[in-house]
Amino acid sequence: MDSFIGNLELGFSTALSLQNIALCFAGCLIGTLVGILPGVGPIATIAILLPLTFQVDPIGALIMLAGIYYGAQYGGSTTAILVNIPGEATSVVTTLDGHQMARNGRAGIALGIAAIGSFFAGTVATLVIAALGVPLTRLALVFGPAEYFSLMVLGLAFAVVLARGSILRAGAVIFIGLLLATVGTDLQTGDERLTLGMVDLMDGIDFAVLAMGLFGFAEILRNLDNPETRDVVQAKIGKLLPSKADFKQAALPVVRGTLLGGALGILPGNGAVLGPFASYTLEKKISRTPRRFGNGAIEGVAGLESANNAGAQTAFIPLLTLGIPPNAVMALMVGAMTIHGIIPGPQVMTKTPGLFWGMIASMWLGNLMLLIINLPLIGLWVRLLKVPYRLMFPAILLFCCIGIYSINNDPSDVLLTAFFGFAGYAFYRFGFEPAPLLLGFVLGKLMEEKLRQALILSRGDFGTFVTSPVSAGLLLLAVLVIVVAIIPTVRKGREEAFQE
Amino acid sequence: MIRIRAPQEIAAGLFLIALASFVFWQTDDLTVGTMRALGPGMMPRALATACGLCGGALVILSFLKDGASLEHWSIRGPLFILGAAIVFGLAIRPLGLFVAGPAAVIIGSLAARDSRFVESILFAAVMTTFCWLLFKVLLSLPIPVAPWLLGY
Repeated sequence: MDSFIGNLELGFSTALSLQNIALCFAGCLIGTLVGILPGVGPIATIAILLPLTFQVDPIGALIMLAGIYYGAQYGGSTTAILVNIPGEATSVVTTLDGHQMARNGRAGIALGIAAIGSFFAGTVATLVIAALGVPLTRLALVFGPAEYFSLMVLGLAFAVVLARGSILRAGAVIFIGLLLATVGTDLQTGDERLTLGMVDLMDGIDFAVLAMGLFGFAEILRNLDNPETRDVVQAKIGKLLPSKADFKQAALPVVRGTLLGGALGILPGNGAVLGPFASYTLEKKISRTPRRFGNGAIEGVAGLESANNAGAQTAFIPLLTLGIPPNAVMALMVGAMTIHGIIPGPQVMTKTPGLFWGMIASMWLGNLMLLIINLPLIGLWVRLLKVPYRLMFPAILLFCCIGIYSINNDPSDVLLTAFFGFAGYAFYRFGFEPAPLLLGFVLGKLMEEKLRQALILSRGDFGTFVTSPVSAGLLLLAVLVIVVAIIPTVRKGREEAFQE
Repeated sequence: MIRIRAPQEIAAGLFLIALASFVFWQTDDLTVGTMRALGPGMMPRALATACGLCGGALVILSFLKDGASLEHWSIRGPLFILGAAIVFGLAIRPLGLFVAGPAAVIIGSLAARDSRFVESILFAAVMTTFCWLLFKVLLSLPIPVAPWLLGY
């Protein structure tokens, strides 16, 4: 307990330096600003804003990135409520009751309760991370290469199952991501792999290049193909602070959502996505008046927004303690950390405790700032929503171009990104979801390394993955997850075939 | 009668098979290695095989199950957006941000059907100035601004 408080103290003393507070504030503000633009999800937001952090020291950069991440998340909820456009998978459910509340003239209260619920969830999640950080890091130290490999397999299995669309496609996309990770010079033999003889590919594909191509450029192309129908609420936002009765209705859903979302967020492979859905279903089930759901029930908004934020934050746990990103956004954070010379994993906490705890403290700070800056600025956000897309996308385009160029000061990176932009557009046309690709790409190098290490240790015996009980358990779980997900589709497919 | 019932599935499947074949062709000269010491060719080929199998399954499914049709690909978007990025990449070193920036914005704007020419020129000027202030003046990133005029 002493170390718990001591660690948090260390964290807050780092996070509360004037520079870091300013960076956290800037990150939250800009994150919300970009995240609120319709058609720009958190992944795209972080990818676009990555270059803003280049000139800052690592700890400041991480604090700013975390701020951008929360801002982008919150921005997504705001668009879901006001415009009925979910910025990302997790805010799909927010549109159900949130937008209805807005249409009933209670937009302000929906936004208010979302911010307050998120703040509560963020506070709890920060404490959970601080408490679980130390024990989980110890766990990581007993993990050998075989266990690491199996854990990543499990993570990818979850990612396949939880991705939108068919399992076959999600699997294929992850394999492509892993495949792209093998491009470059092989670290053990020095052989060039899949570089097509291009010097720029010798060091492998740059993470930022891939991310901005798939999520910066390709998103623009996607959005241009589907001119969205914006349903901006014309009515007044109304007052923001929920009344006493509202609070009473929302309190328990917030607590339940926080617990549910927080627990799911720790799961490898994008468990955070499940949080809002699970919370919404739960609230609807236990509600005495389930009919109100879908017509602007405050419980629906409060519970799932808390679940969303709690999950978004506990998703940091596998990343910070084991060095394994659980979803595409976290994969992006890994890329960002690597650019700043930090390799996420258990050694971060032992080697640079100030950075580790500072980042955790700044999570809470970021949540507080979101509450402070968002509520007064909602009027401004609403005006931003009315910026036409024909002005928005050239600005995003220019930002991406400058950002990619500044990573290595290399113009050929911009050309390579254009290529991946086209690849991303092709993916979209083929019906592939690009987010799992990013996860596969980030895990790919680590997986190959651990696989080779494990096989060297076991002298070429594949049995090493099943003789270790931890590894065997993880692999079994991975198989189970996939099988459970496949069975219903196979059955359904058969039924369809039989009907003919 | 055999007919394609899911054009998007078969296109995706064929794409995956093509990708897998391409990887096999490119990693032709790499050793697969042994179990004890995996060679550099092992992972790419194993993954390419997995991709190819997924592709094969999609192709087979496309004959069995009805699915989405392959919508037509727009040319305008990719042409102008990616064209703008390529122009930016080619122009940034020799000509600097003051040329590459407006060029990217103006060319990119053409991708939207409702773009207005005068508006995009004005917007290009505003955005370039903004990016110059943000990235060069405030964040001091080493971006060439106008080497032909200012020397940096």
